[in-house]
Amino acid sequence: MLETLLPILIFAALGVAVVGAWRRVRLWRQGRPSAVPLLKGLAALPRRYLVDLHHVVGRDKVISNTHVATAGGFVAAAVLMILVHGLDLGASEGWGGVLGWLLLAASACMFMGSLFVARRRRHPPARLSKGPWMRLPKSLMAFSLGVFLVTLPTVGILPAGFGSWVLALALAAVVGWGLAEMVVGMTWGGPMKHAFAGALHLAFHRRAERFGEGNRSTGLKALDLENEAASLGVETPADFTWNQLLGFDACVQCGRCEAVCPAFAAGQPLNPKKLIQDMVVGLAGGSDAGYAGSPYPGKPVGEHHGSPHGPIVGRGGKALVDAETLWSCTTCRACVEECPMMIEHVDAIVDMRRFLTLERGETPNKAPEVLDNLIATDNPGGFAPGARMHWAADLNLPLMADLQQVDVLLWLGDGAFDMRNQRTLRALVKVLRAAKVDFAVLGNEERDSGDVARRLGDEATFQSLARRNIATLAKYHFQHILTCDPHSFHVLGNEYGELGGDYRVYHHSTYIAELHDAGRLTFAPWKGGSVTYHDPCYLGRYNGEYEAPRRVLEALGITLNEMQRSGFRSRCCGGGGGAPITDIPGERRIPDMRMNDVKESGAGLVAVGCPQCTAMLEGVVDASAEVRDIAELVADALVAAPSEETAARHRPRAVEVA
Amino acid sequence: MAFDAIFQPIEIGNLTIRNRVVSTAHAEVHATDGGMTTERYVRYYEEKAKGGCGLCICGGSSVVSIDSPQGWWSSVSLATDRIIPHFQNLADAVHKHGGKIMIQITHMGRRSRWDGFNWTTLLSPSGIREPVHRSTCKTIEEEEIWRIIGDFAQAARRAKEGGLDGVELSAVHQHLIDQFWSPRVNKREDQWGGSFENRMRFGMEVLKAVRAEVGDDFVVGMRICGDEFHPDGLSHDDMKQIAAYYDATGQVDFFGVVGSGCDTHNSLANVIPNMSYPPEPFLHLAAGIKEVVSVPVIHAQNIKDPNQAQRILEGGYVDLVGMTRAHIADPHLIAKIKMGQVDQIKQCVGANYCIDRQYQGLDVLCIQNAATSREYLGLPHIIEKAEGARRKVVVVGGGPGGMESARVAAERGHDVTLFEAAEQLGGQITIAAQAPQRDQIAGITRWYQLELARLGVDLRLGTRADEATLLDLRPDIVVLATGGQPFLSQVPEWGYAENGEESLVVSTWDILSGKVAPGKNVLIYDAICEFSGVSAADYLADKGAKVEIVTDDIKPGAAVGGTTFPTYYRSLYEKEVIMTSDLALHKVYREGDGLVAVLENEYTGALEERVVDQVVVENGVRPDEALYYALKAQSRNKGQVDLEALYAIQPQPCLSEEGDGFLLFRLGDCTAPRNTHAAIYDALRICKDF
Repeated sequence: MLETLLPILIFAALGVAVVGAWRRVRLWRQGRPSAVPLLKGLAALPRRYLVDLHHVVGRDKVISNTHVATAGGFVAAAVLMILVHGLDLGASEGWGGVLGWLLLAASACMFMGSLFVARRRRHPPARLSKGPWMRLPKSLMAFSLGVFLVTLPTVGILPAGFGSWVLALALAAVVGWGLAEMVVGMTWGGPMKHAFAGALHLAFHRRAERFGEGNRSTGLKALDLENEAASLGVETPADFTWNQLLGFDACVQCGRCEAVCPAFAAGQPLNPKKLIQDMVVGLAGGSDAGYAGSPYPGKPVGEHHGSPHGPIVGRGGKALVDAETLWSCTTCRACVEECPMMIEHVDAIVDMRRFLTLERGETPNKAPEVLDNLIATDNPGGFAPGARMHWAADLNLPLMADLQQVDVLLWLGDGAFDMRNQRTLRALVKVLRAAKVDFAVLGNEERDSGDVARRLGDEATFQSLARRNIATLAKYHFQHILTCDPHSFHVLGNEYGELGGDYRVYHHSTYIAELHDAGRLTFAPWKGGSVTYHDPCYLGRYNGEYEAPRRVLEALGITLNEMQRSGFRSRCCGGGGGAPITDIPGERRIPDMRMNDVKESGAGLVAVGCPQCTAMLEGVVDASAEVRDIAELVADALVAAPSEETAARHRPRAVEVA
Repeated sequence: MAFDAIFQPIEIGNLTIRNRVVSTAHAEVHATDGGMTTERYVRYYEEKAKGGCGLCICGGSSVVSIDSPQGWWSSVSLATDRIIPHFQNLADAVHKHGGKIMIQITHMGRRSRWDGFNWTTLLSPSGIREPVHRSTCKTIEEEEIWRIIGDFAQAARRAKEGGLDGVELSAVHQHLIDQFWSPRVNKREDQWGGSFENRMRFGMEVLKAVRAEVGDDFVVGMRICGDEFHPDGLSHDDMKQIAAYYDATGQVDFFGVVGSGCDTHNSLANVIPNMSYPPEPFLHLAAGIKEVVSVPVIHAQNIKDPNQAQRILEGGYVDLVGMTRAHIADPHLIAKIKMGQVDQIKQCVGANYCIDRQYQGLDVLCIQNAATSREYLGLPHIIEKAEGARRKVVVVGGGPGGMESARVAAERGHDVTLFEAAEQLGGQITIAAQAPQRDQIAGITRWYQLELARLGVDLRLGTRADEATLLDLRPDIVVLATGGQPFLSQVPEWGYAENGEESLVVSTWDILSGKVAPGKNVLIYDAICEFSGVSAADYLADKGAKVEIVTDDIKPGAAVGGTTFPTYYRSLYEKEVIMTSDLALHKVYREGDGLVAVLENEYTGALEERVVDQVVVENGVRPDEALYYALKAQSRNKGQVDLEALYAIQPQPCLSEEGDGFLLFRLGDCTAPRNTHAAIYDALRICKDF
């Protein structure tokens, strides 16, 4: 009886799945076109899955092994099942017998995996979605156990036709349940959708360049401002490119993003997982009522709804997502870094912000002022453009306009207008001079890099600033650009290229590390207390520079008290993405939480390498630690030339800041 | 950006100044060895440059000629090439930190003393005596005029060769140039006097000669007065005419403007406005000059606060603000603004201890910052954390000495507890601040309050520390700064009794603190002649009392400094307070409802009487030594301070000696009554090595 039922079940499931796949593909194809090489992508899929994806998944060994057992077991079992039970190639003679045994092994392996899945679902962490996901271990067990049992007669352990028809029917029902979840669910929706969508998402990923050893792709992609046919940015789910929609559909709702999102932790109305799920709701149409994970803090589930061609953010009244959810993001990329499905949350958020800013002019709070300032004065603070060099009036900094050609172009960033950052800049100048670096600055020719404008969705202002900066830079000859601002570092290095500006850009920590390696800087022994280091998002996750700052600190004689969240898991200071400007209220402040991380490390000083991080962390009331830029620590430790030493004999040491 | 107007660089001539804040020229009186700048001088200016000051104009009244005496105020002499290498040291020290430095050069004419050093015959356009210095002078001759013009040019050359960034010609404070300008002093009828052009001639020839000597790439400015405030002197309109006249030459790179002349005691007090003046009282005069000139204008005079400076600059009244006393109080003023530590700025309170010392020929010091002008000794403006063990330091007394001790010990990283019997910090400062026009002295306490809170000092206010309480804390170091009490018991005939009901006399503290209500008809007997007596007189008169202040000294308020007694006198005379000198308080007795004060003439012994309803006696402070003697025997060092180490600014040797028990130091008035600076200085030099 089973011999009759199983092929029917299998091929029915496959058939229904194909219909589902067609429907699913149609949903994705609502999106805008995206030029990805389909065949090349498919060819790259195995490597992307087995290497790149598992690099991320493998950070959690238990889950990784569970997934290998379950998914590996399932894929093998599914193929073998089609061969053995579907096409009846499981005759116990010859190779067929082997197939049966293999099927037994695969299903057993999958069953083992499903036990671990079940264990995790016993007391699931808050980040995991519940709902249909809670039945997944049972479905996995049904499939694996069912397949195992129905295969026992195939290999001859049990007699063919064992038990009664009742048992056969029961077994068929179990296998049917398994097939429904594992095969039909893959394309019609349900937890297993991630396998189908995820595989295709990997193949057709919008950032093919991020795959491969040591590669990263973090620069935002330019918006075509000239295309009159399309609105600027993303208004409706269908305004995303089709492969972005596909990417959203791949989400496994594991909530790793949620666990690391600083805005979520601060109680701001953002949960990256929910955001992606809302996009999934939007692409099919419906309400978020079925969502079974943590909501956006302060926003009950079930009140939002959307459709593929309906607005994501409603004009007054609720739609799919509220604007403040999008404006809560600091663009820290912690979610992207953690996502085992390699979904690009930040791209999506900025796409939606672009629409709100460029088409609706609905950038909240102080952001319109900042954007107006950028348009009028080329700097976000609205300072007189001619005041950019005021901080250095007494430093006689060489100007590119005078020298035309230098080794290093020192990019000041808009920290040049900020009294706190001016101390960092002065320290950096002191270090460069001590190492006798041939450098110059653009002076008043420099403009804001466009980072904030771009992250606030004002792509037009970004491109205007970028093109003018590129034109200025094109006038001069230099080997490298050096900056103490990771945002400038990122934008100049990773985002100007698309607009025609290709530069070798150094963050000052990297540059100082190289100067020290080359023996051009000598440091006095460290006499201060315990120190920790805060990785700036735009240096670390965006650019992969975790080592150089630590090497510099080590060279200073500092042994770091690392924070629990450091390196690629560093917690954002709250200062990126224009978040301090849009200033969406939460229950806590992100920098307060970060300063608490510092406190827990026991360090009395937190070394940073970013003006934004410095500003955010120094803004913490009753902070337990002092905040110093790496450049300041290095400048303080420079061993003075002997003549100066003598002159300083009677002098009390004072903080030199002027 | 906060304070953006302050941090806007400015061009003066060919020179870029990094911000708008200037330490204007003042006599340092610690300058020199025979007119040559010393290490002390260099360190004093280096500290300002290190602290971020944009421009220092050093050497108030630095002389260009040997017949403008240098010795009285130890000023700089540019009359010889010997000064050039000294200037190079000075210029290097300031330039190293990004600052710019110029020097004021002058011939003081009649404004000096002749009775010492070379026994100079002073010079003036018409030989008219100067009252402030009681100086007589000769009428200057044509040959001398031309010699001095040449001296100015040579002096400017020396400044340039020494690497300084410019010179400021002093045509203010009634120096020789403005002696020629002012019809009050210049009565000549030759080409150097009379008409406007003639009176301008000397200054113009000086300017031309200097410019010819130094060329165009060296800054030459002029400091002028905004209004002499004398009916027969130069008015504001005259000064506008003069400024425009010199500006039209195109040879002046900047003007510094000072409100008020200063050849009398009363006008001198305007020049360095003390705490009784409102903020920037003479800004309008500088703004008037700015209207008529084409180059930057600098103005000092009671600009002490960054917000005030920002407001003045933002308003465009002047181009640069002089914050000179502000820098004496805190040479790191600019750095603290930049560090976002505006609350940590030690703000000048206008006590004028600095300038009043200068007028006595003493080195300029700050009443509240003992490190100022002692940088060369190694006294720190910024206290470094101690490297050794964290000590338990207990300070008794919340007056200036105690507050400074607690601050310094806490900056060193120690665990500090401060006991103060009163409900608030301040000690005698709190009392002093009750007098009319003296409220700003409380700024000293305000700064300490903020600092002690920032440093987490355990303040036990309203708590009188006794031996047991102290020892319970198991201190490593005890600092006693318990001050003292008014010394009314010295003369039994005064009838002082501890019971206020029975006492025939009360103290100035009783009056100022409000403990005793003001009488209606009051005699103040002031044996001390400093601030407290005249403050009490001013306070009582302000409350409507009829007041006579009597002293056996030369004059009431005789020991109050030259820029401060005039503002007291203005107030006391206006309120019809009678000031009587040369009488000592012989005896007080009660007669009916009133009191009879018997006064004895210092010189004849004759007795006279006053019938009053209140007798206030100011006889100084008697140290409160009880706690000291209770602790002395138990302490490791028996309360002794090693004077060799103290004067050499070295650590007290007992700090590094092993042993059980605590170290005991006492300082301030509980040792012997001195002043605020003395208490703070001792506190700093003892505690800096804890």
